[in-house]
Amino acid sequence: MNDAGVLIVGYGNPLRSDDGFGWHAARLLAADPRLAGARVLTLHQLTPELAADIASASLVVLVDASVVDDAPGSVAVRSIQPRQDSPLSWSHHLDPAVLAGLAHALYDHVPPIVLISVAGAAFADGDWLSPALQRALPEVVDRVARVVEEHAYG
Amino acid sequence: MAREIVIDTVTRIEGHAKITIQLDDDGQVADAHFHVTQFRGFERIVQGRPVHELPSIMARICGICPVSHLIASAKACDEILAVEPPPAGADLRRVMNLAQVVQSHALSFFHLSSPDLLFGFDAEPAGRHLFGVLEANPQLARDGVGLRRFGQQVIESIGGKRIHPAGVVPGGMAAPLASETRDQILAGLPEALAATRRALDWYVSEVRRFEEEATRFGAFPSAFMGLVGPDGTIEHYDGALRVVGADGAVLAERADPRPYWEYLGEAVEPWSFLKSAYWKDLGYPDGVYRVGPLARLNVADRMGTPLADEELERFRGRLGRTPSSSFHYHQARLIEILSCLERLEALLGDPEILSTRVRSVAGINREEGIGVAEAPRGTLLHHYRVDRDGIVQWANLVIATGHNNLAMNRSVAQVARHYVKADRLTEPMLNRVEAVIRCYDPCLSCSTHAIGQMPLHLQLLAPDGTVLDERHR
Repeated sequence: MNDAGVLIVGYGNPLRSDDGFGWHAARLLAADPRLAGARVLTLHQLTPELAADIASASLVVLVDASVVDDAPGSVAVRSIQPRQDSPLSWSHHLDPAVLAGLAHALYDHVPPIVLISVAGAAFADGDWLSPALQRALPEVVDRVARVVEEHAYG
Repeated sequence: MAREIVIDTVTRIEGHAKITIQLDDDGQVADAHFHVTQFRGFERIVQGRPVHELPSIMARICGICPVSHLIASAKACDEILAVEPPPAGADLRRVMNLAQVVQSHALSFFHLSSPDLLFGFDAEPAGRHLFGVLEANPQLARDGVGLRRFGQQVIESIGGKRIHPAGVVPGGMAAPLASETRDQILAGLPEALAATRRALDWYVSEVRRFEEEATRFGAFPSAFMGLVGPDGTIEHYDGALRVVGADGAVLAERADPRPYWEYLGEAVEPWSFLKSAYWKDLGYPDGVYRVGPLARLNVADRMGTPLADEELERFRGRLGRTPSSSFHYHQARLIEILSCLERLEALLGDPEILSTRVRSVAGINREEGIGVAEAPRGTLLHHYRVDRDGIVQWANLVIATGHNNLAMNRSVAQVARHYVKADRLTEPMLNRVEAVIRCYDPCLSCSTHAIGQMPLHLQLLAPDGTVLDERHR
């Protein structure tokens, strides 16, 4: 598989239980032989300086936990389209679409960006995942590998 | 009728705060206060924890300057262990601290303040953001993002993470520096230096537009405080603590800055969670002094690196030996980035930096320790007392934003007196009141031990609390 230039970003707060899902997933993704050429990052938040990494990648996969009414552990996969909003506070955290817009505005290039989000159940203090998100980990790893594979052969 | 204007909360700063402006019976500004409205209490959180955990816990105080807390905390722990880190361990700490100054100053100048500097303080707020900067000056926006990325990558490559890194431990560093990592950092330096010099040239070409603000934004005589090296050059990790007066004369130089209670007082006001540090000889509240990039330039004889010394000469040639307006924090910040990049180059060019001896190991040998270092926003002190088993009994932190608290309050009052008119509340007026605070780049997460969206809420209140006028943005 040609996954050179693939950037995988697991993000969230690893000390707030399910919010750290991206970090747990990133550890598995970094060790997955199907993704051997990919660059895997863990981040607390999406910040403006990530725009350069995004612009230089051929594919970006973001992995995050979400606060939605869906059943805990349910996985959603969606493509991110660049947006150029004007968020009031952008030094600490950017929405994935605004970050994509920033990469486009700064470097005139945005690769395909896929966001894989998992509905969280618990966001209290703690470095563990709720049982539902523990169970979702293998599915998310497979989904990421599939996205990368489809990109390589697409 | 006396009235009060409240700006709640202040935007484009690190944390939550509000500003109240008190009007007198004639509708003129009588006084103004900068309130820090969040409380975190790290001094209590660490009580009962083993001292070896402190650097990691204290790094959680702030996501912008965690390295400063790591270093001040580790230095306090060094004293409790009664050890000195091996030279390479100390130099790696210096590298991380310098990289943090670069990334934090880049955030402050390019992300938080450049919209005001590019579009002016009278521009519509809807356009004063990063995309606006990108449209008007794409190179400036790219340079800002690039410099912050460079600093973050240096921290990540040594500390393992860009936010809340580890790597700095009591006694030195957890691991030596790999030659590949050093080479990667060195490879990024030429572009970082070029970006900083472009930004400095742009700033100097634009700054004359702001001559009025420069005479109103915290323009008053005060003392300045910061660390200096043995040869009087700017220093961020160690050295003597020097205080200069408004004329640049040295008021005090503490070869050992650790017994801070001998020269600094800490006052508490009921309207803020932020302590007000003051120079004891001058008393409270007259003992106003400033710390941070402008103060470090004002206390230093020179920067000690060629490019930064050229810029310091240009700075002093235009503004004098000891510029007193806080507006000049912006240029000082850029000069300091340049200095940090040059120092990084020198430190990483020394083969000793790759030494595998980076940590001194010891048990609990003292029951008290104080760590002093320069954080991006100014001098930072961590003071711990432990029991014989190394369990923390007491902690006190004196944070850069606390040193600047009196100066920030005086600056807000100065701006408000000039720009705020009682009969109308205008956007440019409010922006200037906020912008003077941004000059200091206060970090309220550090100083009170929150992040989030920071909407501006302004209220005009009658003495009985009735809201006479109100604005949100």
